[in-house]
Amino acid sequence: MLKINNLHNKVETQDGEEKVILKGLSLEVPAGEVHAIMGPNGSGKSTLSYVLTGRDGYEVTDGEMEFLGEELGELEPEERAAKGLYLSFQYPVEIPGVPTITFLKEALNAQRTARGEEAMSAPDFMKFIREQAKALGVSMDMLKRPVNVGFSGGEKKRMEILQALILQPKFLILDETDSGLDIDALKTVAEGVNTLRSDDRGMLVITHYQRLLDYIKPDVVHVMANGRIVKSGGPELAHELEAEGYDKFIGEAA
Amino acid sequence: MGAITHTPAEKTLIDLLDGAEDWRAAARDAVVRFGLPTKRAEAWKWSDLRRASHGIETAGQAEFRLNGATAADRLTIDADAELELAAEAGISVASIEIDIPAGTRVVLKERYSLAEGAFPTARLEITLGEGAELERVVLCDTPENSIPVVRSRVVVAKQAHYRQATLTFGSKLTRNETHITHAGEGAEVELGGVYLLEEGRHADFTSTVTHTGPGGVTHQLLKGAVAAHAQGVFQGKFKVEQAAQQTDAKMTHRALMLDDRAEIDAKPELEIYADDVQCAHGNALGAIDETALFYMRQRGLSEVKARAMLIESFLAEPLDMISDDVLREELAAILRQRLGAIR
Ligand SMILES: Nc1ncnc2c1ncn2[C@@H]1O[C@H](COP(=O)(O)OP(=O)(O)O)[C@@H](O)[C@H]1O
Ligand SMILES: [Mg+2]
Repeated sequence: MLKINNLHNKVETQDGEEKVILKGLSLEVPAGEVHAIMGPNGSGKSTLSYVLTGRDGYEVTDGEMEFLGEELGELEPEERAAKGLYLSFQYPVEIPGVPTITFLKEALNAQRTARGEEAMSAPDFMKFIREQAKALGVSMDMLKRPVNVGFSGGEKKRMEILQALILQPKFLILDETDSGLDIDALKTVAEGVNTLRSDDRGMLVITHYQRLLDYIKPDVVHVMANGRIVKSGGPELAHELEAEGYDKFIGEAA
Repeated sequence: MGAITHTPAEKTLIDLLDGAEDWRAAARDAVVRFGLPTKRAEAWKWSDLRRASHGIETAGQAEFRLNGATAADRLTIDADAELELAAEAGISVASIEIDIPAGTRVVLKERYSLAEGAFPTARLEITLGEGAELERVVLCDTPENSIPVVRSRVVVAKQAHYRQATLTFGSKLTRNETHITHAGEGAEVELGGVYLLEEGRHADFTSTVTHTGPGGVTHQLLKGAVAAHAQGVFQGKFKVEQAAQQTDAKMTHRALMLDDRAEIDAKPELEIYADDVQCAHGNALGAIDETALFYMRQRGLSEVKARAMLIESFLAEPLDMISDDVLREELAAILRQRLGAIR
């Protein structure tokens, strides 16, 4: 479903210098599978999520990214979104003045229109969002507030998953969705994510800690260091990392 | 000082006002002596009217209309009304004096209907009696090559409430001047404005509020968004006279540069002669939040739509002061529609 081959990228830093972050990353996630990426801070995990979703300034210098048989490189972020790529942000962004409900309705219908589907009517949308919000313990009051404004870290993460439930993407990238969540919130969020698991959907779960993977069980675990995948294995790899730390893998990558 | 060489626009204006009396005579005299204002005049340093008027050489007609009919030069308004400034192509002058009687409440909806190439100089003198309330909602949606120069002088008696909300899209040069004399003693002034300038447009919002009596309240909030090769100008001044103790006055101007090639010039000024007052001004220029833009696009919104939503949410606040729901929504809809075309 998602095939990444030998991906290299660079960014321009604030002092105008070029920084290479991804250095030949390869990875393949078939439909129906959940893959986890674990790796120390600064190894390039968030960068990978931005490169996949087409953020300005994250220039691909080499390699390929293929999603559902199509090369992503030339597509705008919104085109990738309409194809079904969804990023749950490590740091969800506040958008003052734009109520969450309005934002989600516009986003859903923009995606539908781009796919040649019919827009969802306002009453149908309200019914749909009400159901999904309830399942995640998000109040209608929160949905009327501007996107992420004044929400706690945990509430923001919950909102990211709610948005995924509304937009029903084909592929989810969850970037440290567990950070800032207490154990109850973590369970609720994991349940939300698990309802999205299906044979025609893929997921890439980026995390620091093995904890999240107790609730969202991955099929494959990849270890990332210094802009590359340095080791891949089954779920047991997460436990091994937790017990032994990243050091030996970083050593291998250097 | 030697005599100046008049431009064709200036000659036309001088002829137009030949034999005029009162303020018209004074205006003519100023043009004869100094010509139209240029950047060299302090009050016009970012809006060169003489230069903008090049190419406009004929005289035209302009008039104020009240509820669709030609308005008298002086009138009393004591019920909601629609005021329209209509101007043909060419240079023209229009004037109206409006009395809002003590104790009345009026919503005045104001429009500019300008032809291509219209260059109207308009003068409004508005007087609010004691305890009067005037809400003036101004839509300044004008052709790109027009030059509206509108100067309003508003006298606000004690206990009176003057509220002004302006939506401006600019033109070759749009100059909107508001000069308020504020009596305090329960009087309140709210000045709200929004400007959205597409490529090549210029809008200048110049205002002074002079507090002459104690305890006056003034809130001014102007927000703008300016595209490449467009220019927004804000010159705001609060003057607090010695008698105007306990004045509470706040001025805020915030604008978005939609492109590195946009220009925004702002000069907020406080001139205070009383010692027991609360006066503040803020001025902030920024750019679209690129992180928010990416976030919205990641959710599927097109770049144009995402930008329009961000700009709209940034600009909307000053229009919130419009008390009439229908009128507020009408202006918001016009703004939204114009945002669809902004790059
Ligand atoms: N836009 C950017 N400008 C400069 N440096 C960046 C930028 N984005 C990421 N980096 C740097 O690249 C490295 C990888 O960052 P990131 O992808 O956020 O890592 P992770 O998510 O694994 O912690 C870090 O050293 C970070 O500082
Ligand atoms: Mg990260």
